[in-house]
Amino acid sequence: MFHKQSHLYKSNDMAATFAFLKDVRPFKTAWKVQVKVIHSWRQNTENTVETLELVLSDSMSKQIHAPVLNLSKVIDESNQTDSHSEFGTSSCSSGINAEIEFNLGRGRAKNTMAVNLTAEAIAKMLNGEVASENDMTPVLQVTELKMIQSKLNQNHESSNRYKITLSDGILSQQGMLNASLNSLVVQGSIQLGSILKLTRFVCNRVQTRRIVVVADVEILVEKCDIIGTCVQSGSPNEPGRSSVFDQQRSGMGSVITQQSNGCGFEQQQAKRTDLNGGRYGASAYSPQPQVVHNSPDAVRYSVSANLPQPQVVHNSSEVGRYGLPANSPQPQVAHNSSDAGRYGGANLAQPQVGYNSSDAGRYGVPASSPQRQVGQRYGTGSGYSETSPSTRPYGSSNAGYGGSRLEQPRAPPATTAYSRPVQSSYQPQPPPMYVNRGPVARNEAPPRITPISALNPYQGRWTIKVRVTCKGVLRRFSNTRGEGKLFSFDLLDSGGGEIRVTCFNDVVDQFFDQIVVGNVYLISRGSLKPAQKNFNHLHNDYEIHLDSASTIQQCYEDDPTIPRHQFHFRNVGDIENMESNSITDLIGIVSSISPSVSIMRKNQTEVLKRSLQLKDMSGRSVEFTMWGDFCNAEGQKLQMLCDSGASPVLAVKAGRISEFNGKQVSTIGSSQLFIEPDFPEARELREWYDREGRNAHFTSISREFTGAGRQEVRKVITQIKDDKLGTSEKPDWITVCATISFMKVENFCYTACPNMNGDRPCSKKVTNNGDGTWRCEKCDKSVEECDYRYILQIQLQDHTGLTWATAFQEAGEEIIGISAKDLYYIKYEHQEEEKFEDIIRSVTFSKYIFKLKIKEETYSDEQRVKATVVKAEKINYSSDTRFMLEAMDKLRTGDANSLPVKLESSNYRSDALNSGIGTSGTRDTASVDARREFGLPAANQVGQYGNQYAGPISGITSCNACGSNGHVSANCPSLMSEPQGQYTQGRYTGGGTPRQHVGGY
Amino acid sequence: MDTTSPAVFVNGALLRRYIGQKVRAVIQVIRSEIGSVVGKSTDDQQIVVKGSPQPPLTSYLEVIGIAESDNTIRAEVWTNFGDSFDAQNYNELCKLANGEFRHLFI
Repeated sequence: MFHKQSHLYKSNDMAATFAFLKDVRPFKTAWKVQVKVIHSWRQNTENTVETLELVLSDSMSKQIHAPVLNLSKVIDESNQTDSHSEFGTSSCSSGINAEIEFNLGRGRAKNTMAVNLTAEAIAKMLNGEVASENDMTPVLQVTELKMIQSKLNQNHESSNRYKITLSDGILSQQGMLNASLNSLVVQGSIQLGSILKLTRFVCNRVQTRRIVVVADVEILVEKCDIIGTCVQSGSPNEPGRSSVFDQQRSGMGSVITQQSNGCGFEQQQAKRTDLNGGRYGASAYSPQPQVVHNSPDAVRYSVSANLPQPQVVHNSSEVGRYGLPANSPQPQVAHNSSDAGRYGGANLAQPQVGYNSSDAGRYGVPASSPQRQVGQRYGTGSGYSETSPSTRPYGSSNAGYGGSRLEQPRAPPATTAYSRPVQSSYQPQPPPMYVNRGPVARNEAPPRITPISALNPYQGRWTIKVRVTCKGVLRRFSNTRGEGKLFSFDLLDSGGGEIRVTCFNDVVDQFFDQIVVGNVYLISRGSLKPAQKNFNHLHNDYEIHLDSASTIQQCYEDDPTIPRHQFHFRNVGDIENMESNSITDLIGIVSSISPSVSIMRKNQTEVLKRSLQLKDMSGRSVEFTMWGDFCNAEGQKLQMLCDSGASPVLAVKAGRISEFNGKQVSTIGSSQLFIEPDFPEARELREWYDREGRNAHFTSISREFTGAGRQEVRKVITQIKDDKLGTSEKPDWITVCATISFMKVENFCYTACPNMNGDRPCSKKVTNNGDGTWRCEKCDKSVEECDYRYILQIQLQDHTGLTWATAFQEAGEEIIGISAKDLYYIKYEHQEEEKFEDIIRSVTFSKYIFKLKIKEETYSDEQRVKATVVKAEKINYSSDTRFMLEAMDKLRTGDANSLPVKLESSNYRSDALNSGIGTSGTRDTASVDARREFGLPAANQVGQYGNQYAGPISGITSCNACGSNGHVSANCPSLMSEPQGQYTQGRYTGGGTPRQHVGGY
Repeated sequence: MDTTSPAVFVNGALLRRYIGQKVRAVIQVIRSEIGSVVGKSTDDQQIVVKGSPQPPLTSYLEVIGIAESDNTIRAEVWTNFGDSFDAQNYNELCKLANGEFRHLFI
């Protein structure tokens, strides 16, 4: 009845029982752990599904890797959907220490996750606690693997060694594989991502660094995604190392200020493994992989070149990586900015050294700098000021291996991060003209219009040219962080891309009045967040959150290339198979509409509701329900059109499919309705309707609709028992056409409490105090005068059977025609027995249409199905006849649901036998077409039956009389003329009961 | 009740199938003439009903009589059916009574 907000907020009922991570096993689904998010990052896997990867740790320091597939489930920090596993987490990311409850939907432990990396193994290795396998046999993951060719002097044979980076999920450590393990690498047992247990290893100190030399391993998992986002371990005595890059929050890396005291190249500290950096850059966020791969070099070169320089502003590296598409849609520009940063940086330091100085850094020529600050900033000037660059630790790694100049053939690239073209390191020396260029300044060029479809979270600056198609109301909310307000609006651009914009708090004030539906705006800046699919049905994975730096500029010149609306119409037939709660656009012909009714919601507020039937070219129809304001505005217009005999076209933007009484579509807050719209789909539909649709038969995908409301399902009395009505959880609502055959005249009413309780009288029974006053137990009051309310016991009879029913006040008045009080006075006060009997007599044996509520109730352990009259209406023979004619037509044209096939087939036989003689040739041939679809045996060839099956199969109405399509027999032209034979007989015994076929005439 | 010669429900179009037989029809009176009433059948065809009904006539009349031609009935029984009558339903009844459910009527 009312729309459930499918979005639940943060659940407060976190149970106190949390499992430990070690107890989490595959196939266990109902568990809850309290964990800390050690790492989180987003990752695009092969099939480009973006996942949120979390490394979680519980109070026992057990760690687990938890990929979250459905990102929309883990929305911001506070709005969480319902869940089975909840995580109380405290994020250790830069500065944010908020307690967050995450949920991962139904968390599942996967087999691969049974392998847990040894917590803090690297840290222990670094501080010397662990020196060999005697101290511990840590389980670590390979995050980098490179082949190093070294020439050995003794036999002049070149032998390959593998350089390896191992990670425990938090830190990573470099090491070498013993040559004896080379075969494992070659055969692929050790590869990038492999999880190894180091069974024999030594942790050596080489210069200022620790290097693990791995002698023997146990391979636990060959293939695995990289767990965690590791920090490259630098010199242990380095103070500046700390801030863990949290990709999820910062989204786009930015400025880091780091201090280090160690030796030159070692200070190139990775806050993040390059693996992830490479992934980010390469996975389609930048159209230019080449640039992406160059950018690490930029960092390297400039940093090394700037060694003596106390402070370097570095503009380039992240540009290439992240900001590129946004800042400069032209790849060429991107290249330049990257280069500029690179060489500009170099020149600031030592122009004459240039390339050589970078070599120095790389290959370990000591270039000590006692202290240094490296500040990196986006070239975009987008104002980000958070942590995290991604600097490749090439220098340091090479330095660890003796400082000799080695050729570095790389191991086969496992990810794009490693496929950096070698030549980029050896690019020709840039011409000196770059020298004075200095750092690239902000990109202040006039905004280029980015298509909505190209927006992604990794762009700093973009401008879209859009039309506002829909503007939401200003809503207020309150959560743990306080009160707030928000509003959102939907945008459409000329490329057909659509996206929702949401503004919060102050930003609401800034933009709310500016946004007008239908206008075109230039919007720039703002962050892209995953779309909250619960609220946002647009075809876009992201939505824009505007902030105070965002700008919205109206384009006063309308842009005709941007459509006013964009529809993704589905036809009614498709909707039948769509999931409920999904959002769809729909266009159809309104065939009927019912008046608005007021529905009381569970929260005691009233809401208007109006239903109509929509049909389209799929030959199906669906009930469409309008709620609230739609009923009066669009609803009224539609009603007027329908009343005047028109069948208006209605286009629905964003209707929600629900599964109430079959499939329905209803409005939601952001729905839009268009009556007789002027676009091609509407014209096509109109043409179709005028051509053929008008007379076609439609099967509804909603439960049968009989005019005044979906609950009016016409039944016959025996069906109450036969269909076991009322025995389900909810009452059944039916209408019957029946005669009152008997009425209990004693106690036809009771004395009721007239006290108003809210806007309704209390109506509880009052008892006579004996002093002329009446006492109500519920109100705990006595009143001078009581009300009289009907409680009529009546017996209803139709052609199938009898039932008792109770009619209370309103229905009683409808039946008797006068109020209970009047009738009471006639009988008891005025003692007009004759008049009373006249009234009762006039009512009995008259026919009514009763709306009944059927519900099984228990009285002292006895189950009784009770029928209550909700509404009684004297029969209008004319309209009831029309109803019967329709019902007969429906039956004959094959309303398959009410006719069990099994019964029918047996009837065929008897019928064929009985009526065989009468089935004349003419009639038979006329219906051959319809019949052949069923392949009935010849003996069963009874003309009229073929049709009732032909109907549903072909989906086209066919005529019983002549067998042709497109009309029902009532309109059959052949009947107007002389039929030439006898007819088979059938008798209709009322809704839904099996038909009886009577032979003879 | 004379079951040997039932009166068939007819509209204008069905009339010619029963020439010489007993029929019944409801007509909407257009005008009364001497010895006949001109009316409109439920399927909007003009029918002449011969005979002299007892006035006053309501706008709808049921006549029972012998079908004489495509559009004439010699009436034996005249019944006033009032001024509001659902001709469309009656027309449907005629079609059913002469079609699929004929056996129930004749």
